[in-house]
Amino acid sequence: MIFKIEDVTVYFPYDNIYPEQYEYMVELKRALDAKGHCLLEMPTGTGKTIALLSLITSYRLSRPDSPIKLVYCTRTVHEMEKTLGELKLLHDYQVRHLGTQAKILAIGLSSRKNLCVNTKVLAAENRDSVDAACRKRTASWVRALSTENPNVELCDYFENYEKAADNALLPPGVYTLEDLRAFGKNRGWCPYFLARHMVQFANVIVYSYQYLLDPKVAGIISKELQKESVVVFDEAHNIDNVCIEALSVSVRRVTLEGANRNLNKIRQEIDRFKATDAGRLRAEYNRLVEGLALRGDLSGSDQWLANPALPHDILKEAVPGNIRRAEHFVHVLRRLLQYLGVRLDTENVEKESPVSFVSSLNSQAGIEQKTLKFCYDRLQSLMLTLEITDTDEFLPIQTVCDFATLVGTYARGFSIIIEPYDERMPHIPDPILQLSCHDASLAIKPVFDRFQSVVITSGTLSPIDLYPRLLSFTPVVSRSFKMSMTRDCICPMVLTRGSDQLPVSTKFDMRSDPGVVRNYGKLLVEMVSIVPDGVVCFFVSYSYMDGIIATWNETGILKEIMQQKLVFIETQDVVETTLALDNYRRACDCGRGAVFFSVARGKVAEGIDFDRHYGRLVVMYGVPFQYTLSKILRARLEYLHDTFQIKEGDFLTFDALRQAAQCVGRVIRSKADYGMMIFADKRYSRHDKRSKLPGWILSHLRDAHLNLSTDMAIHIAREFLRKMAQPYDKAGTMGRKTLLTQEDLEKMAETGVQDMAY
Amino acid sequence: MAGGQVEKRVKYKSSVKDPGTPGFLRIREGMLLFVPNDPKSDSKLKVLTQNIKSQKNTKEGSNKPPWLNLTNKLGKSHIFEFENYPDMHACRDFITKALAKCEEEPNKSAVSTSSEQLSIKELELRFKLLRENSELQRLHKQFVESKVLTEDEFWATRKKLLGKDSIRKSKQQVGLKSMMVSGIKPSTDGRTNRVTFNLTPEIIFQIFAEKPAVRQAFINYVPSKMTEKDFWTKYFRAEYLYSTKNTAVAAAEAAEDEELAVFLKPDEILARETRQKIRRVDPTLDMEADQGDDYTHLMDHGIQRDGTMDVVEPQNDQFKRSLLQDLNRHAAVVLEGRSIDVESEDTRIVAEALTRVKQVSKADGETTKDANLERLERMSRLAGMEDLQAPQNFPLAPLSIKDPRDYFESQQGNVLNVPRGAKGLKRNVHEAYGLLKESILEIRATGLSDPLIRPEVSFEVFSSLTRTISTAKNIIGKNPRESFLDRLPKSTKDEVLHHWTSIQELLRHFWSSYPITTTYLHTKVGKLKDAMSNTYSKLEVSFEILHLSDRISNWE
Repeated sequence: MIFKIEDVTVYFPYDNIYPEQYEYMVELKRALDAKGHCLLEMPTGTGKTIALLSLITSYRLSRPDSPIKLVYCTRTVHEMEKTLGELKLLHDYQVRHLGTQAKILAIGLSSRKNLCVNTKVLAAENRDSVDAACRKRTASWVRALSTENPNVELCDYFENYEKAADNALLPPGVYTLEDLRAFGKNRGWCPYFLARHMVQFANVIVYSYQYLLDPKVAGIISKELQKESVVVFDEAHNIDNVCIEALSVSVRRVTLEGANRNLNKIRQEIDRFKATDAGRLRAEYNRLVEGLALRGDLSGSDQWLANPALPHDILKEAVPGNIRRAEHFVHVLRRLLQYLGVRLDTENVEKESPVSFVSSLNSQAGIEQKTLKFCYDRLQSLMLTLEITDTDEFLPIQTVCDFATLVGTYARGFSIIIEPYDERMPHIPDPILQLSCHDASLAIKPVFDRFQSVVITSGTLSPIDLYPRLLSFTPVVSRSFKMSMTRDCICPMVLTRGSDQLPVSTKFDMRSDPGVVRNYGKLLVEMVSIVPDGVVCFFVSYSYMDGIIATWNETGILKEIMQQKLVFIETQDVVETTLALDNYRRACDCGRGAVFFSVARGKVAEGIDFDRHYGRLVVMYGVPFQYTLSKILRARLEYLHDTFQIKEGDFLTFDALRQAAQCVGRVIRSKADYGMMIFADKRYSRHDKRSKLPGWILSHLRDAHLNLSTDMAIHIAREFLRKMAQPYDKAGTMGRKTLLTQEDLEKMAETGVQDMAY
Repeated sequence: MAGGQVEKRVKYKSSVKDPGTPGFLRIREGMLLFVPNDPKSDSKLKVLTQNIKSQKNTKEGSNKPPWLNLTNKLGKSHIFEFENYPDMHACRDFITKALAKCEEEPNKSAVSTSSEQLSIKELELRFKLLRENSELQRLHKQFVESKVLTEDEFWATRKKLLGKDSIRKSKQQVGLKSMMVSGIKPSTDGRTNRVTFNLTPEIIFQIFAEKPAVRQAFINYVPSKMTEKDFWTKYFRAEYLYSTKNTAVAAAEAAEDEELAVFLKPDEILARETRQKIRRVDPTLDMEADQGDDYTHLMDHGIQRDGTMDVVEPQNDQFKRSLLQDLNRHAAVVLEGRSIDVESEDTRIVAEALTRVKQVSKADGETTKDANLERLERMSRLAGMEDLQAPQNFPLAPLSIKDPRDYFESQQGNVLNVPRGAKGLKRNVHEAYGLLKESILEIRATGLSDPLIRPEVSFEVFSSLTRTISTAKNIIGKNPRESFLDRLPKSTKDEVLHHWTSIQELLRHFWSSYPITTTYLHTKVGKLKDAMSNTYSKLEVSFEILHLSDRISNWE
């Protein structure tokens, strides 16, 4: 359908639209007009993504003189693929109606591992070794070498891509990773470098958060994006965590050992160069004297990770004199490693601020703050000079240098915590020195500063006023949308008691109680016998899930479950989990039905949808609190309390409930879909916990469903399923329109009434 | 043309250009024979009438000689040049008649030629079907061997079974039980520490399917290195070691015993299969791709110990296998179903067949792009939002239930429970019957109208029929699942059921014979009627024996 929002003609690829989608677009357009940032919460299953994509692409079309670029950030690669899938649909529609002028170039961007088509490189196991294998074939000095020595192996795809030079362009269209690979293979061009090259021309770029938030990656990939870009963070409820992760580093024993080995190797290389090609080292020295940390323009294939500090914190100065010479730098690093080694040898937990850490480093190892700050640049320069290609081998020293640079750059918002072992496993010594960032606003600040509009959106951003504080920005629009329901297609319940009327909870003193474990099991046994197709269960942690499944197996509960449905489980092995999910979906497709056991905060909870028949019921066992004794969490809570006056308990509850909401919120995809959610813990019946759930769940949580036992829940579930099986009017009843047609929209535009849906 | 046979002098040409071989064309009802004048010539020809697809001939008055061109079903044509047109017309008419006969009564013509026409393959297929289906075999014996029906009449109603497609379709994979193999508990004699495992072919199949390494080990070791019994003893020893969770003991025993180690080590074949499968996974749930993208997974970057991530004891121990992995693997195998149709007691055959199947599927996965295409198509379909667009109509998958009786009997409980006591539905059988009668009378009086029968009437009739039938079946049994038949002694029940199927069979033939146009059909109907009344009397006898005559009226 085609309609107007003020002066923008919106092309929307479906015949109907939800009223909240329309509202969402209106708000989003206001933000774009104001060239400001916005914060939008809309329930999952109301088509956020497509609303957002169609408004922004239509907005672009309506302003042909100042075309905006859309940078769409997702958390995971599979979400990226999903987004591109929807964009494809939209693009087809727009091209059909507008012809070639609507054509855009949209690409998904990922690492070499996901884009490479060279089978030899792909044979490498993980991302880092793929990167290294690629660099071994594409680095500028390797290619220079190959002109003399024909035995040096190069990558044909990269060579072809280089040969095509500026002619290597992607024709307009929407490219998923799969499409990019197919295109690259077809043309013989390297898809990875092609995609990176196309970033500056593309109208829509879809990639993961890190490419914009993590300075190490953003410094390379995203530095050329123009200001007139709209940046969207989808599913952004965890964005604060991503931000602090991007600036946190830790050092372990293995890191130090690896770094020492790296230094030995570097030392050897330096000696070798001194003997054969001393001029090169001298040239580097001279360059450093002139204040150039890096040679001007690096070819794409030589680039590695960028500086871990944020762009505006990096000093544009010459590298200090005491580390300009390669040998001196190696000495400094040795002293640093030694100092870190001593600090790791602690018996007690130590907590320190970066300032005091730097000063004690200065007094004991004689390394100044400014020297620390330049560690990253200096190492980068040295590695390029020494022509080191197997970058994956050098990760430990890179880590140490990142640590040094960060600790030298930031005085506030960070703390250093040294722990001799993990609290939860005191018998295993595993000392770790962590530099952890507490201030989420640091990493995202450059993004807010650089781009004219940043959109933060998710299904769960409650309480919505907390996010601007955490990320310290002022949104021009901040709204939470309700869901207009055609029928009550979600059914949340709070289960507080088992079938024997005893309370159930995952509170620390209750979770291993056999009665609770049995009651949890019985709940599932009863549910799987009445719920069709897919059932998903979330547990508070892996270890808890492990334990409870073992107990269910011993007591025969698992067997009873298996009589009704197949059982699939998320494990810590990602490959296995992916296959389990794939099988789970097939079991739901073929009608056999299945149960999926998963973990809140796990990979599955983070990004997999359990919509339609893939999830008719979600059971959330317990409240997914963080491990509150963690030192890092304590430090962060303290920081939040001091800077933002956020109460400890409030933040913990907020965090736990956003995870729970995230787990259960993925059951519906559209209003035609339906699903039940069971919060199985007596603590959910308390108002202070429950009220942190997003509004669209709370509005369906009836008072009668707040304190249920298993038998009552079963009864409600039966009734609900029977009700959902009845035919209904999709367009909504009793004057409440929940599905708008083009005519409805036109009428609305005439009368100026926009809130007719609620 | 006497005696249903024509003989004409012709020239036979295998193609238009062929000068032709002079000889005689002899046409009989069933076939067409060409005998060349020159006995040494090799162009002797024999064509069965039902193999002829069409015939063409040159027109009288045209300049062409009188040719008759017969095309057989394989598309090959035979050309005969006659001496004059009348000859040709005579032949042509004869063949036309013969062809018409063929089409009109496929049964009959098949009878006359069945011995010739049936290929060996088809016969084999029939035998196979009979072998597999004992009920069918019994019917076949009863009717064909007692000459109530001919062989071909019998099969004519089962064309579907003989059709090539249905052979594949009817072989619906039999599902596997959901129970885990680890669920089999050994039996003990209570006095010694000895335990006994009872292995059925199904359990063995499941073990082989879930653990390719065990399967491979079986092929390698049995019987050359050890007996089957030793093999399983060792296997369960390994399982026992797993269950103790004492990895040190497991490692020690594995070090001593090479064969035992095979069971304890991680399954490499499985790992390879996994790598294969991960490439074909739906990209919208491929979490493995994230690992390659997420830059925070860079060693030691990001937050390590803030309590969001879980700590689990290191799992790198090679003699450790988690229950979770087993569960996932088990469910995957159950989902895959029984991929081989080897029903053998011999463990080795099962093992080899499984290995073959796996290899084939592996090759498939590498070569065909269809799966990939289908995956992409699925993705784009799922990208849309279903209620914002016009409904998509997906093709229906046929419902195939192994024994429909089970299904419908279980449903009757529901039918019975719901309408009873519901308002307005309390009309009895007589009322429904009355309604039906009325509407039939109306049709008689006014002719057919649209709709044929008013919906209310049909609804009444159907619901009261269902109720009556279920009542008759259930009224005696307290349990809704226990039907009336279950109350009879087993032998009687079987007999009744058998009579029921045979009557059904006969009725099907009986009604298919209408309208009776030929004498053949007439005699057939007569035979069928006799057979049915026979069955009925037999039934009566058996019921009298049981003193259940009071219920016969009910049953009727």
